[in-house]
Amino acid sequence: MSLLQVEDLHAGYGQAEVLHGISLAVEPGEVVVILGANGAGKTTTMRAVAGLIGRRGAVSIDGAALSSHEPGAAVAAGLALVPQGRGTFTKLTVTENLLVGATRRRDKAEVARDIERWYEVFPALGRRTGQAAGTMSGGEQQMLAIARALMSRPRLLLCDEPSLGLAPQIVRGVFDVLRQVNADDGTAMLIVEQNAELALDLASRVYVLEVGRVVSSGAADELRDSDTIRRAYLGY
Amino acid sequence: MEIFLDRLFDGLSNGAIYATLALALVMVYRATGTINFAQGEMALFTTYLAWGLTTHNVPVWVALLAAAAAGFLLGAVSERTLVRPIEKRGLLATLIVLLGLFSVLNAADGLLWGRGNQSMPSLFPNTLTSYVSVLGARLYWANIGVWLLVAAVVGLMFALFNRTPLGLQMRATANNRESAALSGIPVGRILMLGWGLSAAIGAVAGVLFTPLTPDSLSLGEMFPLLIYASAAALFGGLDSPGGAVVAGLLLGVVEVLLPAYVPAVGGQLQEAIAFVAIVAVLLLRPQGLFGSKEVERV
Repeated sequence: MSLLQVEDLHAGYGQAEVLHGISLAVEPGEVVVILGANGAGKTTTMRAVAGLIGRRGAVSIDGAALSSHEPGAAVAAGLALVPQGRGTFTKLTVTENLLVGATRRRDKAEVARDIERWYEVFPALGRRTGQAAGTMSGGEQQMLAIARALMSRPRLLLCDEPSLGLAPQIVRGVFDVLRQVNADDGTAMLIVEQNAELALDLASRVYVLEVGRVVSSGAADELRDSDTIRRAYLGY
Repeated sequence: MEIFLDRLFDGLSNGAIYATLALALVMVYRATGTINFAQGEMALFTTYLAWGLTTHNVPVWVALLAAAAAGFLLGAVSERTLVRPIEKRGLLATLIVLLGLFSVLNAADGLLWGRGNQSMPSLFPNTLTSYVSVLGARLYWANIGVWLLVAAVVGLMFALFNRTPLGLQMRATANNRESAALSGIPVGRILMLGWGLSAAIGAVAGVLFTPLTPDSLSLGEMFPLLIYASAAALFGGLDSPGGAVVAGLLLGVVEVLLPAYVPAVGGQLQEAIAFVAIVAVLLLRPQGLFGSKEVERV
């Protein structure tokens, strides 16, 4: 059974429907990437799956249906979204941001240990534990957003454009951490990314979106070798 | 010197009440992003309720607790049924709804408890002789009681915000509602709780304030108080509970001392002080004394 199963997903904003029936799946421990041009519906897909916006169609985790419009239910089912723009709690300290990420956990000692773990993985955060998170650089806030989402110990991490606005060197660091977490914890990932080259390195499977529909999907290696994909998303 | 101290004590008592109501305004502002125009009328409604209970021989401390509980319900229900459905229509729509709530509550007070002025019994001994002498001035127990109770309420709120997981959830929700929801915080319940607590604090402010002046419980009692509290909240920075408390105390003292020592202000221009403070803050330091300027790097 797939970890995440999405079938015939419709969603949008107000009267405007953005997704016209998307189906996709993520297997346990798998990294899947969604490619697509601006406006293809990548972010909308992520927000609809996470329960931030209303939707039609079925979303299930381990076969259990998730109710729509209820982000808390998705978190409880083991899903965590790193939103586009990072969603930092700007006025809370770095440590408080991580504690909020662990809202649903009751195992205090383990939570404290996880915080230590992410401070080791991201030393830049470990040096700023008491600082207001809004004063940090974009790269640091992206690391914080990923660590915050991982604090809920999700089985599936949704990452919406983790590279947005970051220097290439920082982006590589962020992707290295994602790869490491996937290898160490077996956390499955669904990643939306403009930087197709990097994303295809990390992912084993790919879905390509165009105007709210899946137009192509397959193994990352195959797609990388296909001329159309290369021209459209890799630019050579 | 004695007269100065007398005035200072009175000013600090008024200021403590302004601070309390300002704290209530700040809580709503942090949760919903608006000034709750109905905050004063919510406090008045619950104060009338407490007064009504005391006329049926309910002890005034019990009446205070009942008023706070009723305030909590009133605030929570208002958030759920009035504010939340209208919020997505924008700030202006929310403000209009709150103004509507303001007049509905005021009218309800008139219907239920009449238009006359009433005297509210005090929580503390308040005969002419219940005071201690401080440097020749009279410090009434009623003043001390107000200070202690306000200090307790403020202390409890700060402990809740800064020392408990629930307080962290409230601050997170105020800071970024979407991220709070994504972290699994039950945002709706947190908002109701914030409004409920805020109206409960307002109820305490009303029950404390009214007995300071005989015959002062009336339909028009809370409006000036709301103006002062808004000025204090604004002065303190709207999103800063600590700032609201300091500014409330300051405003209470200035309001009593200024007319006494600057004859031009007299007894009539007192309320103008609050307006002057509001305008001055908006012009000179829009983020208030302690408010946070949005610091954000993108």
